[in-house]
Amino acid sequence: MSAVAARLSLRGRRIPSFRITSGITAIIVKELRGRMRGRRAFIVLTLHVLLLALFAWMFQRLNEESLANVGSYGGQAATYASASVGRGIFIGLMMLQTLMVAVLAPAATAGAISSEREHQTLDLLAVTPISSLAIVLGKLLSALAWVFVLILASIPVTALVFVYGGVAPDDMLRGYVVLFATVIGLGSVGIFFSALTRRTGASTGLTFVTTLALVIGSFFLWIFLSNTSETSLTGQRKQPSEALLYLNPFVAQADVACGTESGGFGGSCSIMSGILGTPDQLIPPDQFPGKPAPAPGIGVGGIGIDPSDTNGVPGVVRLQNGVVIAKGGAVNDIAVAPVVDPLRDRFWPKSVISFLVLATVMTLLSVQFVTPTRRWRPSLPGPVRRLFRGGSA
Amino acid sequence: MTAIVEAHGLVKRYNGTLAVAGVDLAIGEGEIFGLVGPNGAGKTTMLRMLATLLEPTSGDAEIAGASIRRNPQAVRRVIGFMPDAFGVYDDMKVWEYLDFFGRCYGLGPAQRKRMIGDLLELVDLAAKRDAYVLSLSRGMQQRLCLAHALVHDPQVLLLDEPASGLDPRARVELRELLRELRSLGKTIVISSHILPELEELCTSVAIVDRGRVLASGTISDIGQRLRVGEVLRIKVLGDEDRVEAARAWFEGRSDVASASRDGSGEIEIGFRGDETGAAALLAAAIRSKIPVVSYSPAATDLQELFLQVTDRDDAVADGTQA
Repeated sequence: MSAVAARLSLRGRRIPSFRITSGITAIIVKELRGRMRGRRAFIVLTLHVLLLALFAWMFQRLNEESLANVGSYGGQAATYASASVGRGIFIGLMMLQTLMVAVLAPAATAGAISSEREHQTLDLLAVTPISSLAIVLGKLLSALAWVFVLILASIPVTALVFVYGGVAPDDMLRGYVVLFATVIGLGSVGIFFSALTRRTGASTGLTFVTTLALVIGSFFLWIFLSNTSETSLTGQRKQPSEALLYLNPFVAQADVACGTESGGFGGSCSIMSGILGTPDQLIPPDQFPGKPAPAPGIGVGGIGIDPSDTNGVPGVVRLQNGVVIAKGGAVNDIAVAPVVDPLRDRFWPKSVISFLVLATVMTLLSVQFVTPTRRWRPSLPGPVRRLFRGGSA
Repeated sequence: MTAIVEAHGLVKRYNGTLAVAGVDLAIGEGEIFGLVGPNGAGKTTMLRMLATLLEPTSGDAEIAGASIRRNPQAVRRVIGFMPDAFGVYDDMKVWEYLDFFGRCYGLGPAQRKRMIGDLLELVDLAAKRDAYVLSLSRGMQQRLCLAHALVHDPQVLLLDEPASGLDPRARVELRELLRELRSLGKTIVISSHILPELEELCTSVAIVDRGRVLASGTISDIGQRLRVGEVLRIKVLGDEDRVEAARAWFEGRSDVASASRDGSGEIEIGFRGDETGAAALLAAAIRSKIPVVSYSPAATDLQELFLQVTDRDDAVADGTQA
């Protein structure tokens, strides 16, 4: 063996400077090598897409049949029915995928760090210059990468709804943004518990209890509070805070779905209005508090007929917050301009932000539990620290 | 020899239990330093503190000039650590395992490629390059784990019970490997409760018990410092009665603490005195017509030292309690 030793030039090797990204990359490469090896990943992916397609077909049949029973819609029946079917498929697929990621994302991350502890490999990682933040982020991203791939693979299936109409590409984009935020948020819950506990079993249990609490528990709590809260003088019950539901991905998806429904007449919108109340813009002006009185007969927002027009032909106006922002001769002249739909985007952006805040908090807490020493003391990233030391390090 | 590892008053307390009670160490560059002690003596705790995996309750240590408390990141760059219970990733190939740790230390692709080839050859696993880590034997996994601790060419290796669970052949191979590494200029700190394993390997040792270093230095140094007297082995010609008479003669002398016969018929005496005294004792024995065939100090044995040191410690402990 001494011949080997003579040839080795171990001393000559230089260790380059180390960045957090190379740590994250190291973990991700390692994890994906294990996860994507062999045919398993591709078989699962194929089955996933096939199952989604099957569900899409079922949603389509369901919606078609229910519309067929309603009867004729007159001249516009075909257009209306097609859009309605498209919306039905879209809502069905997004809810189904939300359910899927609510199970998959926590499951993918719940063992990420605790399994390293169980396999006694966390110490091997902890003595390398990789920072705890890189370990946690690398683990989170690599575990979620697989869920991201599943979601991305579903886009072509979801895009089938464009054949039917009723759903615009930006609606779909909204739906996927919520889906990705859900994955990151719920995935970070799994990472947190896997960093906290020693055993994967315990981590998985705690993660699913927390996920259930967020997804089902929050909804039940909201219903409970809204039905038992004190009544006001007008006999209406005080609504509990909508913030209770920010981390509920199904409510966020319902809000996205509501955006596709015209005039707030669909099921998703009635759910959202039940939670958020009727949007200000849709409240009749005489009941509207504290806002300038709009033109008579029109709400404070949207498009309406202005009866006050004096040239014989009633004019078309577009209002925002009760103020006329556009006026024209025919409905089409104005409708082509983008209209702010009062029922759109009332909830999901807050939900997305909440999921991202949750992910940040959970990640920072996880870092504390992965760090072997110096727990609960802030550790600034290298460059920032050097800045404070005046470049001495 | 300059010290590359220096510990000053290292203390580690777990929920009121004192695992390490104020340890000072100075380990010279290029040494193979053995931490010897029974299970639960605090060896693993000491090594984990040096490896920056545990924060000392008080005290500090420097490795290659970097403090384990203030600059653990710098310490991590100069050490390679092999824990007692090391794990392997189940779904990884041998080269991927080393490649992963190479990335962890920020090595570039070309560096990693060269490192993997070099190290697999060093630990004699070149033929297993594409095997799954899980399919390796325990001894091979141990060597792979040692290789992982070498990916960044550290100056200091901290090995916690590296030979536990190995068969005799794998042990010999490991010992060869460690000598090899020493010849490459590495300082190796190794803990073990299997004493013969360390005796052949270490340039110096620290005997540890109940979180304290009871003695440290080279094995013969510790022997000389600790011994009240010397153990002499004497072979006497003749039958049973002759030997017994000789034993009684030795026992009767004032400079002999004890004299006993071992299974092979040799007499082992505890002698209070130095080499001059030992020569005088031999001369007196010959004058008394005792047919001495051989007369030699018993070889200094780590196990014996260890027992002696820990015995004394027991005595001290008993004394304080009484």
